[in-house]
Amino acid sequence: MVVIKWISQVVVLILVVSGLLFFAAQAGSNLRAKNIETSWRFLSVKPGIQLGEGIDVNPSTGARALWVGMVNTIRVSAVGLILATILGTIIGVARLSKNWIVNKLSTTFIEIIRNVPLLVQILFWAVVIRTWSEVDFNLGPIHNWFMVSQKGIALPRIFPSTGFYQWMVVVLIGAYVGRRVYHQRETEREETGRETHALSTALGIVAVFAAVGLLIHPLFGFLGPIFTAIGDVLDAIPILVVQLLLSAAMVAAAGLWIKRFLDNLRTPAGLAKLTDDDIFRIIFAGFSALMGIVLVFVIWPGLSAWLIHSLRDFFHLLGDKFEWLRTGRPLDGERPRIVQTGRFPNFSTSGLVITKEFAALLFGVVLYTAAFIAEIVRAGILAVPKGQTEAAGALGLSRGLALRKVVLPQAMRVILPPMGNQYLNLVKNTSLAIAVGFADLVQVGQTLYNQTGRTLEVVAIWMGFYLGMSLLISVVVNFFNVRLRIVER
Amino acid sequence: MTGLEARADMIVCEGVKKWFGDFQALRGIDMTVEEREVVVVLGPSGSGKSTLIRCINRLEVHQEGRIIVDGVELTNDLRNIEKIRSEVGMVFQQFNLFPHLTIMDNITLAPIWVRKKPREEAETLAMELLDRVGIPEQADKYPGQLSGGQQQRVAIARALAMEPRVMLFDEPTSALDPEMIKEVLDVMKELAQTGMTMIVVTHEMGFAREVADRIIFMESGEIVEEGTPEHFFTNPTEDRTKLFLSQIL
Repeated sequence: MVVIKWISQVVVLILVVSGLLFFAAQAGSNLRAKNIETSWRFLSVKPGIQLGEGIDVNPSTGARALWVGMVNTIRVSAVGLILATILGTIIGVARLSKNWIVNKLSTTFIEIIRNVPLLVQILFWAVVIRTWSEVDFNLGPIHNWFMVSQKGIALPRIFPSTGFYQWMVVVLIGAYVGRRVYHQRETEREETGRETHALSTALGIVAVFAAVGLLIHPLFGFLGPIFTAIGDVLDAIPILVVQLLLSAAMVAAAGLWIKRFLDNLRTPAGLAKLTDDDIFRIIFAGFSALMGIVLVFVIWPGLSAWLIHSLRDFFHLLGDKFEWLRTGRPLDGERPRIVQTGRFPNFSTSGLVITKEFAALLFGVVLYTAAFIAEIVRAGILAVPKGQTEAAGALGLSRGLALRKVVLPQAMRVILPPMGNQYLNLVKNTSLAIAVGFADLVQVGQTLYNQTGRTLEVVAIWMGFYLGMSLLISVVVNFFNVRLRIVER
Repeated sequence: MTGLEARADMIVCEGVKKWFGDFQALRGIDMTVEEREVVVVLGPSGSGKSTLIRCINRLEVHQEGRIIVDGVELTNDLRNIEKIRSEVGMVFQQFNLFPHLTIMDNITLAPIWVRKKPREEAETLAMELLDRVGIPEQADKYPGQLSGGQQQRVAIARALAMEPRVMLFDEPTSALDPEMIKEVLDVMKELAQTGMTMIVVTHEMGFAREVADRIIFMESGEIVEEGTPEHFFTNPTEDRTKLFLSQIL
């Protein structure tokens, strides 16, 4: 019996691996037969395209162009996630309101938004923005502060300046001290029952550090040479050492996993008897570590060099941000301005300009996702039985305290998993940017493959990017999910 | 209980009326509960028993009449309500323990956050109370891991942790399996013997007969008859009381 089990495991593994290899080979030969070959050369040559907006509108390589697209996607997603969460929560709570008007308004909003396709809504916003006024030299509502036109929305911008990183060091020290004081005060409150104002004290400490930091941050310029030196040291490490370290890390990870796995199986009566399945998992963990080592040394030898160079560049970059006694403001601000370079007046590069494409896409995904989040929030709050609020009230807890200590912790448990789904949807839905010509990853990718014909490669990059983003969000949401679950049971 | 000693009025209801939409749940209740008195409220379901005691700590709002608890009248003033609620303990039919908190945290939540007690002191008190209700070993478990009877005893301990002057029980044994009813009633008996002022809505006639100083019989939102257990069970005057007793005894 044991032999059959083992053989079946191995046979299944071989079948799956050879199946995958077969399909890959088949696809490869089909493509070759049609004279389609995969080539990544387009990533390193100048694409000759102009992007609508982004960190670099004239990218020098294909890879750079895609990167600009990715940053744009991440930008609109990040802003969208925050706004959709806030708006959705407000509307969700409003839908539970006893005020008739508030209640009906939010219900109407949800029903309309949920039942119209997102693509239509994004196009709708693009049309709405087109009806806004043209850019001129006394554009309102508040000239040179907050301006709305059919080219987009312009706002003042605050950004890190020369002293920012030196100042941040002081602020981080302040945050650390504040954290310590906060915990100390919290413990004191719990032990003595006296109100110790933990949060306000901690925030005050951070504020004091931030203020003092404005004066003393040039002193922290001494960190600059240190970072540069670290970069130099990293650069001097031979590639072989890095490869050996990576291998050791993988062996250690596998060993740790096996140890924890065995610890979980251990009962007070001693180690339980391992089933074949358990043994297989242990072998599999070891095998994975081995494959990792093969990857580092054979399949992708460049990985180690890439890692070490990235780290070096990172520390050198950090080193440039610091300089002994370098003065300068940590933050700078600028207002939007209107300039005329061509035939028509336009926003200058100063200030934060939300382009019409970005705005249309953002309005679309935020409102759409907010409608779903509102329903999730409502469901989460309703999922907490009325008896819980009553019991908290009967104990003398104020409404706010009951909400914070009793209702929300229980509602969050219900809210979080579907909320994660909505976050994933929002990120994926930003690919509809193509409808309004916003330079997100999909739009840039499409332009790129129209010019180079490298469709397959671009699609692979798209898929990899969205998969990576989705996994990242899943990991974050799951982290909080697990934390809530541990709190509960 | 001789009834001769002078005792302060703990709860006074004067002409309390309450409507749910068109339905009138309370039709003018006049009732006084003295300090250290145990009052059992009986009556068929839908007679307004639960509504009455829920009005006493403002879980329901009465529309007419006055309710005075320990000298403070119940009004819309939030501070009054919170003060009264922290002096009136309530035990629910469905326990309503907080499922995301351990037994210990369930009991210490209100003492720490409302009474501002130091955690250590609150936990010592909680252990004493758990001892009293007979389950000190469950302190670190979660409500879901306890039996119904144990959960209801925790709920009593949680209410007692606020050191209330009055305890309200809203059908505390109705959601329990038969074999668990006794353990909860025993805790309530012990509580009555210590001189706690109690109003108990229940269907447990044995408990009413044994523990109550006074029984109030309600029907259709009115108090039909009240008196000592002896009078009530052996010699009721009202026909409706007789009918009720004949149905359940």
